[in-house]
Amino acid sequence: MPWKERYTISDERTLPDAEVRWPDGRRCAFRIVVDLAPTSGPDGITPADLATPEAYFGRHGGLDALLGVLERRGLPATFAVPAVIAEIMPDTVRRLRDAGHEIAAHGFKHEDVSRLPRDAEKARLARTTEIIARIAGERPTGWFSLARPGDKFAGGAVSPHTIDLLVEAGYDYFGNGLADDIPHYWVSDFASRRNILALPYYYHYDDQFFLLFPKKGTGLENPGALERNWRAELDAQYKRGRQFSMVLHPHAIGWPNRLQVLERFLDHAASLPGLWVATSAACAKHWLATFPAATHLRLEPSIWQDYPGSLS
Amino acid sequence: MDTSTGIASDLDGDIAALKAGAAASDASHRRLPRIEWPEGTRMAVNFTADFDAMLLRRLFNEPPSQLAKGEFGGRVGIWRLVELFDSHGIKATIFTPGRICELYPRAVRAAADSGHEIADHMWEHQVPKDRALERDHLRKAKAALEKLTGRAPVGTRSWHSRDLLLEEGFLYNSHDSLDALPTWVSAADGSGPLLNLPFHYAIDDAMFFSFAWLNTENDAQRMMDPDHVEEIWWDAFLQQYRAGGYLNICMHPFVSGRALRIAMLDRLINRMKTMPGVWFPTCEQVARHVVSRHPFR
Repeated sequence: MPWKERYTISDERTLPDAEVRWPDGRRCAFRIVVDLAPTSGPDGITPADLATPEAYFGRHGGLDALLGVLERRGLPATFAVPAVIAEIMPDTVRRLRDAGHEIAAHGFKHEDVSRLPRDAEKARLARTTEIIARIAGERPTGWFSLARPGDKFAGGAVSPHTIDLLVEAGYDYFGNGLADDIPHYWVSDFASRRNILALPYYYHYDDQFFLLFPKKGTGLENPGALERNWRAELDAQYKRGRQFSMVLHPHAIGWPNRLQVLERFLDHAASLPGLWVATSAACAKHWLATFPAATHLRLEPSIWQDYPGSLS
Repeated sequence: MDTSTGIASDLDGDIAALKAGAAASDASHRRLPRIEWPEGTRMAVNFTADFDAMLLRRLFNEPPSQLAKGEFGGRVGIWRLVELFDSHGIKATIFTPGRICELYPRAVRAAADSGHEIADHMWEHQVPKDRALERDHLRKAKAALEKLTGRAPVGTRSWHSRDLLLEEGFLYNSHDSLDALPTWVSAADGSGPLLNLPFHYAIDDAMFFSFAWLNTENDAQRMMDPDHVEEIWWDAFLQQYRAGGYLNICMHPFVSGRALRIAMLDRLINRMKTMPGVWFPTCEQVARHVVSRHPFR
């Protein structure tokens, strides 16, 4: 690019629409990501977070309702699972896996790792990988760091070490990249071209920011805006032949009025011929084989100059 | 004790101070009640894009996901906006921080090659308080843009001092919402006039779509969908169309460059084009027209 440390994560320009390819000549990739973390603060899930009626609904009625929708429609999804949630409900995780869904890692207890020392983050990452692998029966290939509703920024928190640690641990992809709307490479070191594939995330397609957000209050339930965002993005990306992804929380989307919105949107998606409904793992596998970093990550050295009185 | 005399004199002081404050503001602005647009047109619409990408995020030391969110503007959004405007034959104005020339040189050059105006948006999206450093930043930004586009910018969207902008050859600033129409801004004694091309936060994509914009708290977020915003902007257009006025639509490539919003802008432009007599110039063209037809006096 001109790649610039602490400014950029990837190369200078996205892959143009005309060059994007999906398996079997499909027109557009479609991913559903389900976040199994209940609402928590930056310290991660606490016993009190699990004791709320909302969290109970998310583990039971809301999840069953959402699974019913996916099953009736034969849609595979990616479940982003904090390690502690896998420990709490291992049978559910195995049931999801047996139904053909992907089990991806979503932190140890969905805590904010952004200020942890590298060693501490590394230990948490290793333990998380081990727990998910043991319970789901195979190592997760993807890692998510999705936003908590109370976070200052809605993009999901990572530390300066996260990407490097994920590469080191052998992960195929990182699940919430905001620098593109197709898969792209997140570079952690310019000289060695060390990188991981990032799959796109954008909060405008994440249910939790529209449904009684950020709390109960007049006018804070906006499923219509969520539906119109989903639909407008899917239609536009379908036309371009790119990718669409949404993030769902069972405690949020599982409630009746919201499920109706989801059903209506999925009806619309089903009417588009050539949609490739894929798990994140399948999407990453396709991308890594078709557009490998070796040939498609176009990094150029920085042309940035340092001056007194200017940013460095 | 009778305190009424003292209170009365305080109240008189209030009135005098407030009158002086309003008078100072009034003396430094000259409103244009109406603008005569070029023959055959009845209103001007400026499409403007603030190409900050991740620079402002970096300036605030925001976390990596925020940098990546901004990076979308340089990797994806700016290319789509240029493609959209080119497909409509519209020349836009891209307000570009000088530093962006070191991060996305190809995009800046491509926008200039397509005939869009590349204007200043500060060296690093901030104006230093120190006068000498402010001048240094302004000159660095100018030089960086000129190096890529072959032409020094004549417009800015910035907090730069008016006198410095005039000294450096700037023709207009597109920064404040003083009026729906372009407005002359000067010192209170009428010296140093510079034209302002207004933009308003209600006609700014980030206000509707960018989480935590301007450091706002979560309670202040109510993210909208493109249909909703299209209607707000269409109402603004329609009102100014009838009045024979002006509209400046402020976009950010990392916000409006998302596919769903490019599709909305495409619809909005098509709707505007169904109305006869709409002029889609660059900000520079508007500024040159207003300067010659409605000079400061």
